[in-house]
Amino acid sequence: MLYRLALALALAGLPPCGFAYADGSSAAVTFDATVAAVCTLAVNSNGTMVASADLGTLSSKLAGGAPALVSLSTTGGVDLSVDPVTVVSTPAADVTATAWTPTYSATGAHPIAETAAPTALAGPGTSSVSVDLVGTKSGPARFAEGTYQATVTVRCE
Amino acid sequence: MTARIPLGVALAAAMCGAGGMAHGQSMSPMRGEVVSFTDAFAVRVFPANPYGRRIDVDVRVYDQAFAPVEARVMPGRFALAAGASRSVLVVVPFAGMPVRKIRICTESVPFPDNQTRIRAQICGKFIAVRR
Repeated sequence: MLYRLALALALAGLPPCGFAYADGSSAAVTFDATVAAVCTLAVNSNGTMVASADLGTLSSKLAGGAPALVSLSTTGGVDLSVDPVTVVSTPAADVTATAWTPTYSATGAHPIAETAAPTALAGPGTSSVSVDLVGTKSGPARFAEGTYQATVTVRCE
Repeated sequence: MTARIPLGVALAAAMCGAGGMAHGQSMSPMRGEVVSFTDAFAVRVFPANPYGRRIDVDVRVYDQAFAPVEARVMPGRFALAAGASRSVLVVVPFAGMPVRKIRICTESVPFPDNQTRIRAQICGKFIAVRR
């Protein structure tokens, strides 16, 4: 019975299972993309420095201080660095020189131990960058009472 | 009196930075080569603000040693809304040199009244050749 049905359908030009086959061709389409080197920095929080007991150091690394936190996202192929501190606001009573030393470290896709030198970021990903700042007086000089502000430039290039 | 001085210094020296400040930026392209047949060359860059608040942006031009380079930056300072991007045209004279290597940097502008003390800077490196 089934043999006769299949034979009849075949003679009628219909597929035996009742499906209609579409006659067509296939073609491949391609998607192209070029991702250029990109780096994004976002300042999540600024740092807090506190004075050492002997008033010879202002540091974000001391107890009570906090590093600045910066989010970094990149395609890779860029360099991360911090600039020497150039913009500092000090109280009028502070008349002695201060040596400012910014450093940074990172966790995430680009783990970086604390350093002040530029770091090449070869691969893509996101990282959290911690920026510390230490101000040091030399000899008998000490920090005076008042407000200190310093600007650290974090660069991705 | 001796006990008050360290406390006063510690409190005054604290650089407050909290407050939920979140400003950053990106820029594209970050690399480029330009061939120019005139005394100057032009680069168009696109600073972007991928974050959820308005930021103020400076675009500056430096040489390889980060010395400022005389250039026309249009516009040089502007505000970018959250998620916005805009084109900036930078025109740099060759200043008699056959090849110039410059950096075009997008910098966030710290808010002076909020003691924002981290300046995020994205720099692209560009080489221009005069033919």
